[in-house]
Amino acid sequence: MLARHAESLFWAGRQIERAQDTARMLDVTYHGLLEAPPWEAERSWHDLLKVLWLDQPFAALERPVRAGTVSEFLVLDPTNPGSIVSSVAQARENVRATRELISTELWEAVNSFHLELRARNLRSEVETAPHQLYQFVKRSCQEIAGAADETMPRDEGWRFLMLGWTLERAEMTCRLLDVRYSQMVSAGASGGFHHWLRTLQSASGSEAFRRRYRASTEPADVVEFLLLSRTFPRSVLHCLIEAEGHLRRLEPGASVRSRPQRLLGRTKADLEFHDTHELLQGDLHVFLDYLLDGVRRVAEAVALQYFRASEELDVRAFGPGRAAAEIA
Amino acid sequence: MAELFAGYDPGAFFDEVVDADGGVRPHYRNLVDRLGGLSAHQLADLERLRDESFRQAGITFTVYGEGEGVERTFPMDLVPRIIPADEWAHLEAGLVQRVTALNRFLDDLYVGERAVLRDGIVPRWLVLTSAGFEREAYGIAVPHGARCLVAGIDIVRGADGTYTVLEDNLRNPSGISYVLENRSAMTRVIPRAFADHLVRPVDHYGPALLEALRRVAPARADTEPTVVVLTPGVYNSAYFEHAFLARQMGVELVEARDLVVDDHVVSMRTTHGLRRVDVIYRRVDDAFLDPVVFRPDSVLGVPGLMSAARAGNVTIANAVGNGVADDKAVYAFVPDLIRYYLGAEPVLDSVPTYLLWDPDQRAACLDRLDELVVKPVAESGGYGMLIGPSASDAEIAAMRARIEADPRGYIAQEVVALSRHPTLVDDHLEGRHIDLRPFVLCGDKVEVIPGGLTRVALRRGSLVVNSSQGGGSKDTWVLAAPPDGRGA
Repeated sequence: MLARHAESLFWAGRQIERAQDTARMLDVTYHGLLEAPPWEAERSWHDLLKVLWLDQPFAALERPVRAGTVSEFLVLDPTNPGSIVSSVAQARENVRATRELISTELWEAVNSFHLELRARNLRSEVETAPHQLYQFVKRSCQEIAGAADETMPRDEGWRFLMLGWTLERAEMTCRLLDVRYSQMVSAGASGGFHHWLRTLQSASGSEAFRRRYRASTEPADVVEFLLLSRTFPRSVLHCLIEAEGHLRRLEPGASVRSRPQRLLGRTKADLEFHDTHELLQGDLHVFLDYLLDGVRRVAEAVALQYFRASEELDVRAFGPGRAAAEIA
Repeated sequence: MAELFAGYDPGAFFDEVVDADGGVRPHYRNLVDRLGGLSAHQLADLERLRDESFRQAGITFTVYGEGEGVERTFPMDLVPRIIPADEWAHLEAGLVQRVTALNRFLDDLYVGERAVLRDGIVPRWLVLTSAGFEREAYGIAVPHGARCLVAGIDIVRGADGTYTVLEDNLRNPSGISYVLENRSAMTRVIPRAFADHLVRPVDHYGPALLEALRRVAPARADTEPTVVVLTPGVYNSAYFEHAFLARQMGVELVEARDLVVDDHVVSMRTTHGLRRVDVIYRRVDDAFLDPVVFRPDSVLGVPGLMSAARAGNVTIANAVGNGVADDKAVYAFVPDLIRYYLGAEPVLDSVPTYLLWDPDQRAACLDRLDELVVKPVAESGGYGMLIGPSASDAEIAAMRARIEADPRGYIAQEVVALSRHPTLVDDHLEGRHIDLRPFVLCGDKVEVIPGGLTRVALRRGSLVVNSSQGGGSKDTWVLAAPPDGRGA
């Protein structure tokens, strides 16, 4: 398939997942703070911006760090490329650019999500009915996932869509843990297990967690579950296993693993062979950062291998330029 | 007459549904019976169903020159236009004849002996001064001479109902996607109306286009040549159609940045390296196609594309330089071209056209610009036209100045009192002017898709049907001749 189309689908997958996870994180932060004192709130909202790497752009706006301002920035600010409306608009542009490759159902699901977001009064919903709004975002993303799953042929396009999707999800689950972890640190030990429970709920994992760990109230179990579960689809390990499968099927019959495969395998092994209790005693934040960096390098390797593969020819035809700079 | 049609006023025009005595024409009787009984409420429901279907499918086009709401859905009227089998047979014969002659003309100019100029059928200077005439296309042959691989011929009916050619679109005619989408929406919205009619299908267009494109592949290509659709990108007003056609054919939709020319061979960048391309169905205008030979500032083009075509490594469809044959001044010569190349009388009429570089014709026209239509010769899409009877004095004066400055740049035509068709306006029917753009495909043979795009001037009294100028459309039903030969 065309390299440009592969790249568009890869990003569409990322952007839909990002919209969904941003909603999840907003939901967990908002509800986690309902009973908290105001000074804790400011710290938590700031932490949320930080794990999303949006603290600098937000600071540039010179607005107070509060539930309302941060939620608006993350939900409906069109100048924030990571906001939910921006992510969905970009995802729509990306599937529009691949319109002839994807099923009508998938296009319609993305398009109507975008149109509905534009039609709703988000500013007031963020304030008056945040939970319902985040539910709506989550459901719409699930509808898109369902449309993709049920109607897309399992071809290359599908692999790139899902590759972007699973890598983004791995990243975002790391970040979700990071938000909760930093909140726990800032709240001292008083954070309590119910906060972790909310984290599970926001990852739609509380029932699955209960079935696996019964009555556990150990934060370590939650971390283990969200990082290392082999069966829960939002756990980081599960995402990496999925992504590995997609990468493998992009190279049928290859005897040597591709560079993205090798990088992913390394990160996955590092995750798999870590002990959770160790992690919680050390600095979980540092480890999560390490995972995020690993995932980011896989994404870069994918871009170099599949989206810019033929730029070597440009070097031959038009002299060394951008391509050479990128390979170096 | 059924309720919906009660009070319908066909006016002083040729009406497609109601004849001069106020009776419903025979080929519309079933439809009038079927739709006539609908209440305003039911109609509103059907319209909602239709709008939802279009909007959800993302069928939109972009309107330039408006501040907001760049994407609009293309309004389709719920009352279809019906063409009986015998009328269609006449149209089809005329279209095949016309496009065949135009292809012969283009081949003669670009790869032939230019006999048509030598024999004085068309003035040499007229061809040489046409904006659509491209010297860069000299010597680049197209298999089977199918230079207009897709042609869209605009047809109107005047006061007596005669089918008349209004203009030819031989470069990048658009609108076929609406033909297919209108049909698909109609079968969903009023499925039962189809049961009363033998409507000829249109959904074979994608495979037919692909087949035609494969037929013009360079001789050295595989038995399965690689075909792509080249689009300017998602911000082009017809992008929906480009994507639609690629999907209908199951081929890649590429942009210029996806293509690369090396050693006169065109390839596309894929996830697994470069793959050779044999035929490009391009929806990018000539001027932007190859910055090496055309506009150097074009980012929509592929450097080296023309050299690859000249080397016979790739076929570009429609061919470069077709604009000379749909130049509106050359239009006046098409009946002569048909006689010259095919030795036959034109089946379809043309509109009386005045050539304004001729001092006598110009003088006669300038005296009565308020009665004529004036068109720039190289434009399409209804841009830059003057419709005399509805123009202000200032507009007429401005047009007069433009004509005097550049008489070769404009032609004048008699106003055609376009036929009208009952069209839903709120909850009742009103007559609105319509035209028809049938699509003609040329590979190794010439084929017309039954029907085409019927465009409607939705504004009351307006004669301009272009989608870019506030037009809408109708599904167009060509009726199949009954097998036993009885009347349609």
